[in-house]
Amino acid sequence: MNNDVLVIGGGIAGIQAALDLAEMGVQVHMVEKLPSIGGKMAQLDKTFPTNDCAI
Amino acid sequence: MLDVGRHPRINLLAYSEVENVSGDAGNFRVKVRKKARFVNEDLCTGCGTCAEKCPTMTVDVFNAELGSRKAIYKYFPQGIPSIYTIDKDACRQLGQGKKCGICAKVCQAKAVDFEQNDGEIQLHVGAIVVATGYDVFDPSVIPEHGYGRIANVVTALEFERLLSASGPTAGHLDRPSDMALEKEIDDLEKEHKKLSRQLKQLEEKHGKSSAQVMDLVKSGAAAADKDLHNWAASAERFGELEARLEPMRQKIGAAQPAKKLAFIQCVGSRDFRFNKFCSSYCCMHSVKEAMIANEHDNEVSSSIFCMDLRAVGRGFEEYKLRGGKQANIKYVRGRVAEITEDDALNPVVWFESTTSRQVLHETFDMVVLATACVPTAGTPKLAELLGIELDSNGFFKTDPLAPLNATRDGIFVCGCAQGPMDIPESVAQASSAAARAAEVVAPARQVAAAGSQ
Repeated sequence: MNNDVLVIGGGIAGIQAALDLAEMGVQVHMVEKLPSIGGKMAQLDKTFPTNDCAI
Repeated sequence: MLDVGRHPRINLLAYSEVENVSGDAGNFRVKVRKKARFVNEDLCTGCGTCAEKCPTMTVDVFNAELGSRKAIYKYFPQGIPSIYTIDKDACRQLGQGKKCGICAKVCQAKAVDFEQNDGEIQLHVGAIVVATGYDVFDPSVIPEHGYGRIANVVTALEFERLLSASGPTAGHLDRPSDMALEKEIDDLEKEHKKLSRQLKQLEEKHGKSSAQVMDLVKSGAAAADKDLHNWAASAERFGELEARLEPMRQKIGAAQPAKKLAFIQCVGSRDFRFNKFCSSYCCMHSVKEAMIANEHDNEVSSSIFCMDLRAVGRGFEEYKLRGGKQANIKYVRGRVAEITEDDALNPVVWFESTTSRQVLHETFDMVVLATACVPTAGTPKLAELLGIELDSNGFFKTDPLAPLNATRDGIFVCGCAQGPMDIPESVAQASSAAARAAEVVAPARQVAAAGSQ
């Protein structure tokens, strides 16, 4: 048995999953295809329905 | 994003891909290929001097290919990890085999490494969370919408980059046709400047004016003199450029940012030719984009063309109504049949208004296509590697009563990897998937904790 978790994808879902796991004390490995994490959400200017900044 | 880069328990492998997976729940062995950045991650400080001095420009994928960036680049300014990468295909040295190496010369940290190879990493994990997201549907396969043919028809994500203060237009709604014209003028002006310099040099050297040389060549007096012929050809091209540039400059001087926008809903979704499913977030996405555009410039008005506007979610219906009242948004019920282009490069939208039962057409400055959310190109391959199934739409299959579970133990799917959803839902699912993955590895963690006591 191994107690690490692999997260594939560094968009908003991957980021949230990785942070939650890491905060629980789990060692996480995150693999992202692109040079930076952030995913599609980083490309958005604002988000609905609050018009908050996406980054 | 920043927290992920800093967290002591997160090993961030960016610019990497999963190559092979073996084993079972509690005991997966994963091979990851770390792609060569040609920049040493441990040495790069992210200062950006390399990109400043890099002589090669290429299209900026992050800005939906609307802007340009250097061949050595950071995916976006706030990107994590904050290190640079060389785009191998665009780089003069790596891709074109020319002599360059300017980035290596200016890098004080000595981080540039043209010899770097792909690396291989073996991971041993108990559970896997799949959060691979989605791709934007390519609307160029719908001929009637004219995407790719009509410059001022853009996708919702492209429009998002135009709206962004850190985007290619610094947040101004410049029309793509005007941006293209500006680029053409820039290119022609460069050529114009070069020719002007050449002709001036020739005139000074030979003591003849270019007009005289052109007359000589025309009259046949310069029969075999190749240099004179070349001179005359350059002079002719110079005249051509002058004549072409003037009206273009006038046109760009009169160009106005977009003020009248149309949003077309269900582009590639709820369409039996492409995807039957509803992409769910696009209705609200269009309302948001129309509102932000109006916030930026209160003369902006928008028409949203939809079969029905699906504002399902907390605060969404109120948001839609607020857009209509405060942001000059008109909701038009009807499916768009065709988009054409007029002489001023304005898109003309032809549609049936199902409320008035008439076929109408209206001219806009720009049209935004609310493109569908589709599975990523790499989804089938990843499913094969992980040994999990896809659903009928091509997303990762999950169980309705255990909505985070993939079809194999120890693997969980969250966010748009399992189907279209908005950000709050993705985040909620991600937290759930994290909890499920933690359950799988809990026994091993307890054993490890007991061992260390």
